Amino acid sequence: MTTVVIVDDHSIFRSGLRSDLDASVEVLGEAATVDEAVALIASLTPEVVLLDVHLPGGAGGGGAEVLRSSAALLDRVKFLALSVSDSAEDVVGVIRAGARGYITKGSSGAEVSRAVAAVASGDAVFSPRLAGFVLDAFGAVAGEQAASDSEIDRLSAREQEVMRLIARGYAYKEVATELFISIKTVETHVSAVLRKLQLSSRHELTAWALERKLL
Amino acid sequence: MTTSRPPLLRSRTAVIAGVCTGLATHLGWRLRSVRVWMAALTLLGGAGALLYLWLWVLVPLESTTDEPPRRTAPVAALLVAIGAVAGIVAISAMPSSDDVATSALVGMTLALGIAVAWNLILDRTDAGRTSSYGWWVRGVAAGVFLIVGTVALASRPAAFNAFLGVAAVVLGIAVLVAPRVVTLWTDLQASQTARVRDEQRAEIAAHLHDSVLQTLALIQNRAGASTEVARIARAQERELRDWLFTGSAPVDADLAQELRDIAAAIELDYAVRIDVVAAGTAFAANPALVAAAREAMLNAARHAGGDVSVYLETTASAIDVFVRDRGPGVALADVPDDRLGIRESIIGRMARAGGSATVGAGASGTGTEVHLHLEVV
Repeated sequence: MTTVVIVDDHSIFRSGLRSDLDASVEVLGEAATVDEAVALIASLTPEVVLLDVHLPGGAGGGGAEVLRSSAALLDRVKFLALSVSDSAEDVVGVIRAGARGYITKGSSGAEVSRAVAAVASGDAVFSPRLAGFVLDAFGAVAGEQAASDSEIDRLSAREQEVMRLIARGYAYKEVATELFISIKTVETHVSAVLRKLQLSSRHELTAWALERKLL
Repeated sequence: MTTSRPPLLRSRTAVIAGVCTGLATHLGWRLRSVRVWMAALTLLGGAGALLYLWLWVLVPLESTTDEPPRRTAPVAALLVAIGAVAGIVAISAMPSSDDVATSALVGMTLALGIAVAWNLILDRTDAGRTSSYGWWVRGVAAGVFLIVGTVALASRPAAFNAFLGVAAVVLGIAVLVAPRVVTLWTDLQASQTARVRDEQRAEIAAHLHDSVLQTLALIQNRAGASTEVARIARAQERELRDWLFTGSAPVDADLAQELRDIAAAIELDYAVRIDVVAAGTAFAANPALVAAAREAMLNAARHAGGDVSVYLETTASAIDVFVRDRGPGVALADVPDDRLGIRESIIGRMARAGGSATVGAGASGTGTEVHLHLEVV
């Protein structure tokens, strides 16, 4: 049983999602604004927070602001971002603030439940769109990787392969079969990429984020 | 009268304001006779000029285009010439007759004032008038004002002419400053309207994002990924999103955008959700590659449905497109020879374009994956 708090400013969406989630997920509470969410997460400390990217209240920072305010809890509480679209613009800000993955609001209850379980067990949830963005931001496609010497600013050959397959729409299990590795190894690679996405100061990434006022 | 006349409208290509041309068209007269009548009426105590002005104010412009009207007569330059002559008359009449000097000064002020106003307001939008023409008109007008004003003040004039002299000097300076003020003013107006428009758009976008887009997401969520309802909601979402966030920025016709457009069009016709992911540098669309990718997406939509993933990777040396579905799969050997879909439209087309195409089973043997590869020279 995974305990969850749903943070979204639309009551219809919250109740719809709540009724759609599997029996494996227990919803502890709901919050509609940044301030409500920060208080509720601190008092309930759920395993996973389903966090809308766009939220009213607080200083206007939306989901990323909730993450920054709850930074002390990040090793106990995992955040899964929910976004109305799967454009990188919406998502990279919350990922860099500490979210463990994201899922679009159009996803079915079963998909959300699976993603919640994955995030709760410490894995990252990557979509094809986000994988494509990572390949772009780390220069993996343009072949300019060698120019960067810091470990955190570049993807290993294996990580690139994994990202490429995820971008092609492969599930973790299919990636594992394709590359003759275990699912656990795939998950390790994805988590490593997520960490790099969060910590890298790679020029393209920061410039990209600055340009869109995400930092 | 049963015959209908053409409506009375001012022409956009005009000598002064298009009144005579409009009248001629409306009455069915020859243009020349309308002008002769107008001139003759003007000689009768200025009735023609008044009629002309009256028609100018009240008759609307013809509305075939939005272009500002073009005027062939250099009215501003003519008025400046008249003003200059009046100025000379004023100076030469100053020692002998104060009354003549006064009317000449008033006439000069009127002529030059109208000339500058005409130049700033009407010539500004006229494509046939260059900016150096405007500089000439205003420069000469200011010069005449300043010279006549100074001379009038220096020749120990009567009280009223002294007042006119001061006014002429002040006007001369004003004429030199006017274009800057007008430019600043119109710029301010334009930037204000632009800002209001942007603010409104952002407000609408925020509101729609918070309401309609969320609802469309919820509909997709509740209806299941590939149902009819979800499909319509998704198409609506995409359309709205394009309108909201793309704004008026020009859309580059690059490969990724082309594939997204194709995916959107296919989603409208089939129960399928196509996710297009692109990585790498933008490339101009290659017709053969786009056509083959379209065929692959269509096949996936027709025979598999559900979720289809399209991945486009462009490097400096090659373009790769992967199209994968989770349908029943296809074995190339089983496809009859007369079916042109895969063999001709995808493999053959790519081969002719100097690339290659492989059609195989997707990951773990489920579904189909089409891989298009094209070297870039």
